[in-house]
Amino acid sequence: MKTIGEICSLSELKIGQTAVVKSINITNKNVKRHLLDMGLTKGTKVSIKKIAPMGDPIDILLRGYELAIRKADLKQIEVEVIQ
Amino acid sequence: MKVGLVGNQNSGKTTLFNCLTGMNAKIGNWPGVTIEKKVGTIKGTKHEITDLPGIYSLSPYSAEEEVSRNFVFNENPDVIINIVDATCLERSLFLTTQLLESNCKVIVALNMADKLEEKGLSIDEKKMEEMLGAKVIKISALKEIGIEELIKEINKPLKSKQNKVIPQYLSKDYELEKYEEIVNQKYSFISKVVENCIKKKIKPEAISDKLDKILLNRWLAFPIFIIIMFLIYYLSVGIVGSFTVDLVGDSIGSFGEYIGKLMQNLGASEWVNSLVVDGIIAGVGAVLGFVPQLIILFTCISLLETTGYMSRISLLLDKIFRKIGLSGKSLIPFIVGSGCSVPGIMGTRIIENEDERKMTTILTPFIPCSAKLPIIALFAGYFFPNSSGIASSSLYFFAIVVIIISALIMKKFVFKHTSNTYISELPEYKLPSAKYILKDVFDKVMAFIKRAGTTILLCSIIVWFLLSFSFKMEYGVDIEESILAGIGTKISWAFKPILGENSWEATVSALQGLVAKEQVVSSMAVINGLAEDASQGSQIFASERSIWFLHSIISICFYGI
Repeated sequence: MKTIGEICSLSELKIGQTAVVKSINITNKNVKRHLLDMGLTKGTKVSIKKIAPMGDPIDILLRGYELAIRKADLKQIEVEVIQ
Repeated sequence: MKVGLVGNQNSGKTTLFNCLTGMNAKIGNWPGVTIEKKVGTIKGTKHEITDLPGIYSLSPYSAEEEVSRNFVFNENPDVIINIVDATCLERSLFLTTQLLESNCKVIVALNMADKLEEKGLSIDEKKMEEMLGAKVIKISALKEIGIEELIKEINKPLKSKQNKVIPQYLSKDYELEKYEEIVNQKYSFISKVVENCIKKKIKPEAISDKLDKILLNRWLAFPIFIIIMFLIYYLSVGIVGSFTVDLVGDSIGSFGEYIGKLMQNLGASEWVNSLVVDGIIAGVGAVLGFVPQLIILFTCISLLETTGYMSRISLLLDKIFRKIGLSGKSLIPFIVGSGCSVPGIMGTRIIENEDERKMTTILTPFIPCSAKLPIIALFAGYFFPNSSGIASSSLYFFAIVVIIISALIMKKFVFKHTSNTYISELPEYKLPSAKYILKDVFDKVMAFIKRAGTTILLCSIIVWFLLSFSFKMEYGVDIEESILAGIGTKISWAFKPILGENSWEATVSALQGLVAKEQVVSSMAVINGLAEDASQGSQIFASERSIWFLHSIISICFYGI
């Protein structure tokens, strides 16, 4: 389990953990743009809400709504654990 | 006046559109239900209103965005109603900030205002108006609250129209780094708006989360999913099917007899009598007998769509579908396609990746649609008289196997890609609106009946004619000498490899399956009715079981094309 203050990728968090987005390093430009439009920007608070029964995709809570994203994409999002 | 309805996916645009126009457009609780624009007139006015597909941004990257963007910037609307999910303000306002840049009169409609209380939120709309510089109105499209105020606001006279300029950052080749900066700025403005206008109270754990603990549970999710899907098809194809089809079939049979006697008494000639009883009533009736089953099937699909469980299914199966080059989103077209392939195929537009979209489009027709239901039930009843319900529902699982194999073949030889992304909003569960479901099911069933009254009626008459007359135009010939038998025998060699034998009856009905799948049953009923003895009639069914499977996967009817 990642501890508070640790920098890691969003895919490494456990259910219930909260983090702040540090940088979005997604290589696919369209995917990155889409996530930006949906409010996944630098400084956004995200928490892990649910995990699909097979472990992937992961459902995250951000800006008051839930978004399901695959682990592979979450891996390319760097966050700082705050809770 | 030209009004546009713009908002995020799943924000209730279509519900508001129906509410404003009195129309009944399709609603669902999964993102991306509206895939092209719909136009209507606002009740009590002459304003033309356009329902646009749900988008998160006006950037030109998906087909939906392109449609909405074109409307806003090129079609010169007078008013834009920006529908905003009040329970999810932050993300929704991003699009609002873009719309405000369009120089168009924007009215922000805060939808689902009735749910704020429940979620422990309260919104200060006056403050919000001030900060955004646009009129803000609280509404509930579902409960029809605030609609009059909204219409009143639309009716207000306009200032002179200004030319619309597409902001530079929304152009296609804009640098992504700079775009990111602009998005960051917009979102920090939005955070300020939200901070100033929303009061949050402590909210209890949402019902959706509690439900998901069970429905998305690691061990329970799959068994629950399989049970739900099995129940849907078992209920509609099996239990209700065998019961009501017999009932309706019997009453149509006795109705035919009654009409036959009536016509005899009226002195109608033998061939007219035969046309009506053996041709029209037998043919159309055979198909109409399936209406009760369809009602059940359509209701179940409608429930899956409106409650929000559909989004869970897509999340649940994403990892499996990824392995065959698809994503969880492909599942929605498949399930909708079990009603009818056409809306299923239209629904594939929610899939972002082009290869995945094409594959899903090709595969959707493999799912037995409701028109194949009569065929499935007919053969199941014949082959497995004691367990036709289970046999029929297992056919859906057979279809899934066919889909997986086809997808793997396509992935290997045609679309050499890996499924690269899955980004989907997970909406909260909603109690379905009985009013909407009734209307939705009614419309679909009526469409089916209409086809029974047109295409199938015509085909039944043609089949009857071809069966009752010989090539020499003599009426009342033995069925083996009829025109249809002649044609069928001549081409049955071509179908031998798939049908397994030389049977003109099976050949003819398979051909008709291409026109409209339900026609198969209809023409079999006509052939059966005209056959002189029972053994001749049942000969049709005596072909190998492969026919059954063939029909279940004959992919496309002309409606689909």
